[in-house]
Amino acid sequence: MFKDLDPILHSQLRLAVMSLLLSVKQAEFTFIKEKTNSTAGNLSVQVQKLKEAGYIEVIKEFKDNYPNTTCKITSKGIKAFEEYVKALQQYLQVKK
Amino acid sequence: MENPENNFTPQESLQLIESMINRAKDKYAEDGSMYLMWGWLVFICSLLQFLLLHVFQYEYHYIVWLVTIPFFIYQYFYVSKKQRQQKVVTYTDSIVGYVWITFAIVIILLGFIVGLLTTGEYYTHIIHILLAIYGMPVFLTGVIVRFKPLTIGGIACWILCIISCFITIYDYQFLLIPVAMLVAWIIPGYLLRAKYKQQ
Repeated sequence: MFKDLDPILHSQLRLAVMSLLLSVKQAEFTFIKEKTNSTAGNLSVQVQKLKEAGYIEVIKEFKDNYPNTTCKITSKGIKAFEEYVKALQQYLQVKK
Repeated sequence: MENPENNFTPQESLQLIESMINRAKDKYAEDGSMYLMWGWLVFICSLLQFLLLHVFQYEYHYIVWLVTIPFFIYQYFYVSKKQRQQKVVTYTDSIVGYVWITFAIVIILLGFIVGLLTTGEYYTHIIHILLAIYGMPVFLTGVIVRFKPLTIGGIACWILCIISCFITIYDYQFLLIPVAMLVAWIIPGYLLRAKYKQQ
């Protein structure tokens, strides 16, 4: 039905993560988990998919002796997001 | 690729994007404590300097500023601790940070290095220059975080700068620094703290 919509972005949790990262410079995994109301397991699967697509950058480091994951949107991710929004707009215009 | 999660309409998509973007915004990371610490510190130091200069006519009146050194160290640890605790870095936070770094560099360059290299004349203009520069970070921060008291404080510094040009007795120009601290840092600092506690 929505053939021209990027399948990587057209998923509720992945789209939520991308929208969140679009508006900030970088965010920790726990912050994203809290804001998207998701479970750690599901979120890490989706984050991994976004990372494989090259849409986000995932930085793993230690913070006060605990592993800490930080996510950042890439320029490829921003471009894909813009394309996705454009496709949405086109779809909505056609419908009108 | 038929996944129940992918079955949502473009309208729902747009709503989701909008709500997520709004969720990350409008979070006040600043509690005003740094404004208050530096505001009061510079307020007291500049008054002391005025007393040393005007009442005691002490030659090395600028020595009071050495008190600020431990506060710079404290600031360094405070900021790095805060950065560790911060779960999200917004563009606003990062830009405001750079505005203050620029301010610190400019102040150090003008206050110390240019002062050392130029002859006596420069020294008598220091208050006008300081007031002009004090306004810059406060005004910009106010505009970036959309907090009016800071914007007004910044403009007030520039007005004080103009006023300082009409004060011909050098000693009295020093009194404008504590006034600037009050309007640009201390009052907005308390308002910022009140707003932070409210959220």
